[in-house]
Amino acid sequence: MSAQIFGVGELIRQVNAALAGAFSGVWVRGELSGVKTASSGHRYFQIKDAEGTLSCAMWAARADRLRFKLTDGLAVLLYGSLEVYPQRGSLQLIVAEVRPEGIGELQLAFEQLKAKLQGEGLFAAERKRPMPALPLRVGIVTSPAGAAVRDVLKVLSRWERLSVLLAPVRVQGRGAEGEIAQALGRLGRSGLVDVILLVRGGGSLEDLWAFNEEMVARAIAASPVPVISGVGHEVDVSIADFVADIRAATPTHAAELVVAQLERQERRVAEQSLRLRTALERRLERLRLRVEVLAGARGLSRFPVRLRELRERLTRLAALAPLLRRVVTARHRRLDGLVSRLYRWPVRFGAPRRRELVTARLSVAAERLRALVQRRALVLAGAERTLAALSPMAVLQRGYSITWNEGCEVPLRSPSETAAGSRIRTRLAGGEIRSLVLGSGGVQGSLFGTQGTGDRGQREGNGDD
Amino acid sequence: MTEGRKTGKESFEEALAQLEEVVARLEDENVGLEEAIKLFERGVRLARRCREQLAAVERRVEQLLAEAPEGGEPQTAPFVPEEG
Repeated sequence: MSAQIFGVGELIRQVNAALAGAFSGVWVRGELSGVKTASSGHRYFQIKDAEGTLSCAMWAARADRLRFKLTDGLAVLLYGSLEVYPQRGSLQLIVAEVRPEGIGELQLAFEQLKAKLQGEGLFAAERKRPMPALPLRVGIVTSPAGAAVRDVLKVLSRWERLSVLLAPVRVQGRGAEGEIAQALGRLGRSGLVDVILLVRGGGSLEDLWAFNEEMVARAIAASPVPVISGVGHEVDVSIADFVADIRAATPTHAAELVVAQLERQERRVAEQSLRLRTALERRLERLRLRVEVLAGARGLSRFPVRLRELRERLTRLAALAPLLRRVVTARHRRLDGLVSRLYRWPVRFGAPRRRELVTARLSVAAERLRALVQRRALVLAGAERTLAALSPMAVLQRGYSITWNEGCEVPLRSPSETAAGSRIRTRLAGGEIRSLVLGSGGVQGSLFGTQGTGDRGQREGNGDD
Repeated sequence: MTEGRKTGKESFEEALAQLEEVVARLEDENVGLEEAIKLFERGVRLARRCREQLAAVERRVEQLLAEAPEGGEPQTAPFVPEEG
């Protein structure tokens, strides 16, 4: 057999021709190692198992379409063609396709991105912003045609006054991630929203894939406005969920979180308003009780006429003092947030007549309540001023006086209780006068009645013991 | 959406915090009647401010249009969801 002599290049060409026939489309199983990305974007690596190592090249155009990253140690199935690289004479596999082994490629991509972003601290609790105090302007990033946007609008319509700004995007298919990321940026920078809902209805892992893209994750992290994610069903977890400031289980749930926050704030205001009113009413009630106690006190009961006068004066005072009128007559469109819970609006945001009726009725009720509070407040505020006037000293200041028979502790109520020639003491505000009685008429005494006066004097005498 | 600018969440939180403080002081029995009434008036004003802010936004549903003029305000248009 005569030996055929080849040029080197010629021999390699012959070998490659033979390989092309036998190994142009082969599957090989192994583990990746030495993965490198050249400046051209091509990937170079080896695949090996216990018995051998094979060099591999994957051109950038194909490698860039992989959803997951080629990493050392990854167990894979490679598909490609064997050839000898002429310049070095080495055998290599030109890789057309890579499939991870034992795990789906999407799952692998998910795990890889998750690990990467977690390593960067993008999921850290310290990064998460709380729900805004008043999320009244709500941005939504989702498909304008999906069920998600209808679900969200339906829930948001429960808050009477709330503005919604939708950034319509495609939520699946090639390029969806770019639209989503861009929409997040535009909404966030617009200054028109307080919070952004990033939502999508349920679907397969493939359908929800855009929400597992790095581009979307980074747009969420960069958003100047807090982002609430609500992607798929409750069991679905996306990278977007991990990066979002707040994770909701579903689109509906995301919207509910917004409404719940507004309702919570409204409740807080209502609760404080109630406590405010209660505190003032309680204080005025205490004053009223003090007046009553004084009115019933023995010292004051000795001045029945004066007391009656004072009571009348108290009533007049109450009518005059405009103290709280301007405070309590302020009209509010809503009464302690009760109204908003009484009606539910349809998505179309009509203004049902029923709502207006309810509002009107509540206004009337509110007015009545206010008027009641006002009346009580006025009476009681007047009462406090009257307290000073009710003290016996103040009565004397006005020129009234108290008179006793000398050596007797019971004040005189009737001229018949003394007689001509008796010595009497008179107490005025400024001091005492001692006098001699020239005479006493019985006529005036009948005003009070001798019998009654005597009884009372006796009773009081007993009380003094 | 100029009304949105006025709904600063700070001012709501601030007003609510002040209201809570006013209520706490009013509930203190050592405060005199005159001051109590002043506190009450102030509390009513604060509560009203909080309520106003809770309703400070016009109800509307809009969508952000794709094309915004160079350096201009973002453009919006009404949005009505399709019936599903």
